[in-house]
Amino acid sequence: MVRKSLLLAVLVGVCAQVGAADSPPPLPVEPTGVIETLPDRYPAEWFLVHDAAFFHMSDGKVYVIDASKDTVGEQVKGMFPMNLMGSYLQVASRGEIMSVETFHTRGTRGDRFDVLTIWDNANLDVVAEVELPGKKRFMGMPQRVALHALNDDRWLAIFNLSPSTSVTLVDLETRKIIGEIPIPGCSFVYASGGMAFSSVCADGRMLTVALDGDGKEKSRSFSDVFFDSDESPIFERPARVGNIAYFPAFDARVQPVAMSGNAAMPMTSWSLVGEGEENWAPAGIGLDGEDDLGRIYFLMNPEANGVDGMHNAGGAEIWVFDPEARRRVLRIPLQEWGLSFAVSRGEEPTVLVTNPVDMSVELYDGLTGEFIRKITGFGQETPLLMMSAQ
Amino acid sequence: MMSLIDRLLEKRARSAAQHASRRGLLKTLGGVLVGASAVPLLPVARADGHGGAAHPQETGSETDCDYWRYCAIDGFLCSCCGGSANTCPPGTEMSPVTWIGTCHNPADGRNYVISYNDCCGKPSCGACLCQRDEGDRPPYRPDKTNDINWCLGTSSASYHCSTAVVVGVAFEE
Repeated sequence: MVRKSLLLAVLVGVCAQVGAADSPPPLPVEPTGVIETLPDRYPAEWFLVHDAAFFHMSDGKVYVIDASKDTVGEQVKGMFPMNLMGSYLQVASRGEIMSVETFHTRGTRGDRFDVLTIWDNANLDVVAEVELPGKKRFMGMPQRVALHALNDDRWLAIFNLSPSTSVTLVDLETRKIIGEIPIPGCSFVYASGGMAFSSVCADGRMLTVALDGDGKEKSRSFSDVFFDSDESPIFERPARVGNIAYFPAFDARVQPVAMSGNAAMPMTSWSLVGEGEENWAPAGIGLDGEDDLGRIYFLMNPEANGVDGMHNAGGAEIWVFDPEARRRVLRIPLQEWGLSFAVSRGEEPTVLVTNPVDMSVELYDGLTGEFIRKITGFGQETPLLMMSAQ
Repeated sequence: MMSLIDRLLEKRARSAAQHASRRGLLKTLGGVLVGASAVPLLPVARADGHGGAAHPQETGSETDCDYWRYCAIDGFLCSCCGGSANTCPPGTEMSPVTWIGTCHNPADGRNYVISYNDCCGKPSCGACLCQRDEGDRPPYRPDKTNDINWCLGTSSASYHCSTAVVVGVAFEE
């Protein structure tokens, strides 16, 4: 036994000598202080995932995620913070991301400052800040319709709710506030041509405000009443194809509204559900979306229709429709449940869905409905809203 | 962290139990109700103004999401955070501006107007997250929405928890 051990030791020593002779040169000394950068234009497979940090809202953040990859190391491209239930909008033509957030000088106390923080796409670094006066910026569950860029992306419209409502207009070239436009009784900002915006009103109408070249109000007009906010409310979050916004309603109708700069034009509503599907209704937070093929998507709950209080509960499937034909073209059954989702841009759309069971996000094929992968462990806690990257 | 889905799915049973007689109430309310100072302006009758029981009987636990007053709530229950169903925890500030719901009290059979004043100035309480949403409407109806941070009119916008204050008996139509 002793002889065998000695022989083994000798052999190991010989192998080690041979290995050392064949080993590559030592690693070169590496530079420190190298910071990664991202492309100015994000790939179609990327998403911006807003973790609102519902349990500690001063730690909100937005992750840049490449959903086409398999590992966390490949999926996470970067992140920027967004304090106290902020709102964000990526403006591709400017290579910038707009983020409206709130700070206090002593954390959760002290003087309050509302700020438009402008992040550079490539560096995810702050390139400008615009302080927003009045302590009035909209602060609530994450919304896609709290910010809107107009005038060829030169201006940013910011929705305020204090709870009186208005829109602050910021010049993104000069980084200065142009002015504030009151929209009493109405809320949010929807695209309506390049020099106007629309807002949805409590009395069931749409307001459209047209602006002149200086960003001053030129005119305002209201649509006819097209819904009852008590009896047949619509969600404030439409899917959008061109100039038509498709507002889902609590009762499983979809209400198209044409918004092209003049008075908004409500169109004939139609039902999302067919025979035997009467209990289904849209529900969720980011509960709808659209793709570059002109299709519209809705998160559907199998028990929400006619049940008071279920409209935020999320759903078991995503239904995809051809809005021209008013026909469902795809059902996407989710692995467990969905609370919020976003659709990627491009001819082969993918759908990223928040799964509230484990607070992961899950990717589905937007053409076949097939489940692709679960993405989790990237630091997310409450990923309440996603947007496709631009 | 607790699973949101459990809480969301729980609502199916709750909403079936509490759905009755809430629709159609308070339809004439317009705008946002401004805290206690606005209570006399509300088209409601104060509970103590009828000469009946000054303290209507209640059942259930105020730390339970199923508690009758929480029918339209969405947030952390102050009763789990050092406060109660109608008081804020120490060192916080109650928002004077709020949204309202109308909840049915099974103990006395009446519908009550509930003011969901938020308590503000500290980080999220984190305990007893409760989402019921009955009668909730999107934020274009600020008087009936729980989707916004109601720490408005307070020195700090930092949301801590939510109360459910009885501000009157609701008129039936």
